Amino acid sequence: MAMFAALVAVLGQLPAIPLAGGVPITLQTLGVMLAGAVLGPWRGAGAIVLLHVLVAAGLPLLAHGSGGLGAFAGPSAGFALGWIPGAFLVGLITQASWPLRVWRTIVGTALGGIVVVYACGLPVMAFQMGLSLEQAALINLAFLPGDAIKAAIAVTLTHSLARAYPAPFTYARRRRR
Amino acid sequence: MIPLYQPGTSYLHRLPVGAKFLGIFLAALIASIFRENLAVLLGVWALTLTGFLLSGVGLRGLLAQLWRLKWLALVLIIPQLIFLTPAETGFNVARVLAVVLMAALFTLTTATSDILSSFERLLRPVDPLLLRLGLSAERISLALSLTIRSVPLILSFYAEIREAQRARGMRPTPRATVLPLLVMSLRHAEETAEALAARGVR
Repeated sequence: MAMFAALVAVLGQLPAIPLAGGVPITLQTLGVMLAGAVLGPWRGAGAIVLLHVLVAAGLPLLAHGSGGLGAFAGPSAGFALGWIPGAFLVGLITQASWPLRVWRTIVGTALGGIVVVYACGLPVMAFQMGLSLEQAALINLAFLPGDAIKAAIAVTLTHSLARAYPAPFTYARRRRR
Repeated sequence: MIPLYQPGTSYLHRLPVGAKFLGIFLAALIASIFRENLAVLLGVWALTLTGFLLSGVGLRGLLAQLWRLKWLALVLIIPQLIFLTPAETGFNVARVLAVVLMAALFTLTTATSDILSSFERLLRPVDPLLLRLGLSAERISLALSLTIRSVPLILSFYAEIREAQRARGMRPTPRATVLPLLVMSLRHAEETAEALAARGVR
């Protein structure tokens, strides 16, 4: 769990991929999806909680070395907090059976990694910026393609990992069906 | 990994962690509730400015913090100018920046270790509750310090992977980088768990 929290932190620091349109994206949210998919709901969400506690304590672990309490005061705070239920849902859906099913992983990362995170992030952003929910959603449309790509990468990575190194998937294997 | 904390001996540095956190939290809450109130906005800014001056971070530090927030400001201003009037935009941007700066002040004047130890103290009374969930305050603080320790380790894993890729003339796609990173990190986690079990920590 601790290791994965650190992994999510590191993924935020690696050189970002400049997306078409100039919006730089980092792999940090990829780490969030993977945390849920690989560690299962409880430990996946736990890893994100660990990360957030350290960020709030003043370590620069979020994307591009940002961090500190300020990260939870700005308009994107809801997205970061949404990672916790997001990772939980990704884990719950992805690890519902062993061996993993590809369609479940796709549904899980899309619902948990994108829908839940946006559902938590948009209201906070709209409130902070004094916009309506629709307007906030329109702004964040710019990030959706990147998140969709990351979800796709998360799905392939999860299944490669399940084949190469199944040890961490304890939640799914305990409830083998 | 360098914490954002700046050492000092000012009044703000010596304030207890809990009181400082509560104060900043309340100020942020008030600023968010009375959003269209000019007096509150000016008050919050005055508070933030005095905080920066008192803490010894000074105007230079404040400007450095503002420079760090340049992308946030840009993301804030552009869509608002499209949807809202300039006056409303000014209000919102000023409010969000003040709140973020105040939170940054907490981070600048409080040592990471102090925050973590008061977090652990906060968990102590709910320990029986945590035990029912299979957790304890000690385990949580152990996990926190393991996380801090793991960040430079994973960065070194990453450097290793990049070197191996370069030796083979590979392009660093996310997939080809993250999968070995995952396996190396998870294997290390398992070894750490074994080492902890061998020492009687479960």
